[in-house]
Amino acid sequence: MTDALLALREVAKSFGDTVALSPTTLDIAEGSFVAIVGPSGCGKSTLFNVIAGLLAPDAGAVLLSQRDVTGTTGHVGYMLQKDLLVPWRTVEDNITMAKRLTGRVTTEDRSEARRMARAYGLGEFLRHYPSALSGGMRQRVAFMRTLMTHQRLLLLDEPFGALDAQTRLEMQQWLLQVWRDAERTVLFITHDVDESIFLADRVIVMSPRPGRVVADFANPLARPRTLEMLTEPDFIALKGQIMHLLHGGAA
Amino acid sequence: MRATRRRLGLVARNVGIPILSLVLVLVLWQLIVVGFHVASYVAPRPRAAIDAVTQNWSVLWPLVLGTIRETVYGFVVGAALGFFLGVIMAKVSFLQGLVYPVLVLSQAIPIIALAAPLVLILGFSTAPKIVIVAWIVFFPVTVNVIDGLSHVDRDLVNLAKVYGASRWRTFWQIEIPATSTPLFSGLKIGATYAVTGAIIGELAASDGSSLALYQEHANSNLNTAAVYGTTMVMTAIGISWFLLVVGVEVFATPWRRRTVARRWPWRRGRDLADR
Repeated sequence: MTDALLALREVAKSFGDTVALSPTTLDIAEGSFVAIVGPSGCGKSTLFNVIAGLLAPDAGAVLLSQRDVTGTTGHVGYMLQKDLLVPWRTVEDNITMAKRLTGRVTTEDRSEARRMARAYGLGEFLRHYPSALSGGMRQRVAFMRTLMTHQRLLLLDEPFGALDAQTRLEMQQWLLQVWRDAERTVLFITHDVDESIFLADRVIVMSPRPGRVVADFANPLARPRTLEMLTEPDFIALKGQIMHLLHGGAA
Repeated sequence: MRATRRRLGLVARNVGIPILSLVLVLVLWQLIVVGFHVASYVAPRPRAAIDAVTQNWSVLWPLVLGTIRETVYGFVVGAALGFFLGVIMAKVSFLQGLVYPVLVLSQAIPIIALAAPLVLILGFSTAPKIVIVAWIVFFPVTVNVIDGLSHVDRDLVNLAKVYGASRWRTFWQIEIPATSTPLFSGLKIGATYAVTGAIIGELAASDGSSLALYQEHANSNLNTAAVYGTTMVMTAIGISWFLLVVGVEVFATPWRRRTVARRWPWRRGRDLADR
């Protein structure tokens, strides 16, 4: 048995002859920030869809707080590169979307959504429709919507992948601040090695054909993270190891 | 101040230009009739057509009400049926394959040919006219609803699923609002055809008093001004109904025009909840 928040036990998934994910076992500790890096086709999105319950694995089990949730939905917060805000709802109503889809949006939910939006710089935009927001603002709203699921585990699939470099750096710092306040467990997919090291406590490297975990690094960087750390020897050393795994001897 | 001026400008453009084009049509009509010395039994002057309507308004008004009733009832029945069929067919692909050809077939039948059996079945009441209007209206609604529902973003539907939403909630909270644009396109097409359907129904299945027969009567009496006047009335009914549907669309889809949601008086309590 394990006291991890999320435990994957020999989870595997194939599509026809393609092994998207070979048997994978992982433990994610409560409150940690874990990044998964890997090239496309390494099975990271398949892994996410299995954890979220959108895909049933061919074999293995997904345990959340030691409860078997394999192939079921409704137990994680989930966010993609596409913000998926609904254009017909205001910012406030988008933030409370999860409750509207699963129960009733209460006055407390609304107050919480407003508090959150004000605390994270979107207080002026509560009554705006998403079409009025910039890409970075939209992703912030999408993340607040994810937080408002009140799930302990958040799956973020390249959430900042579509943003420009400057906005992305701002969003990373913002995310770290929100994560510290919100005390959640984050599993974060990215193809950006710098991003994975800057954000995570632990960096898992995956590789394609067949999709599998090839390395699992503990990040030596202390918290809180600062931009200066991006050039520290520890950062560079870890980046070198990961790059070597991703690009082989050629790097 | 500037915002008010801009709003006024927008209203002037949205209302003023259509009115201007209407006036232009009347002017052109006048010029052609006068300029080419068209005889009044061939085509009246606009003024004569308008007079033919206003002077006989007490006779016309109950007939107009009848046409409006057929149009509205038929539209509501057709739109509801069209929506229902669209949803069912989009959700059950087996039914889509089975029913779609029948629907296309239904539209290939000339409406006039439909009227005779409808009268036999339903008699000379309002019912056959409602059926004809609904027959015309449901099709564009169904086609657009199917199209809209099959193009809803799969990722959005999956997101709702991951959150634990039921299919029912996902349908009403995600799929239906996402379909609003094609749905209203279908309704607007239906609205433009609805009056035509009602008039055809009145022509083919009327026992005496109807707007269409009034016009036919005027025609056989060589009362051309009344013929044109009645046409104007029919057109006005059609345009009004179309504008009403557009009005509902504008009201129901504020996010397409506004950046900030409107504050409704009955929602004030909600807005003030945590202040």
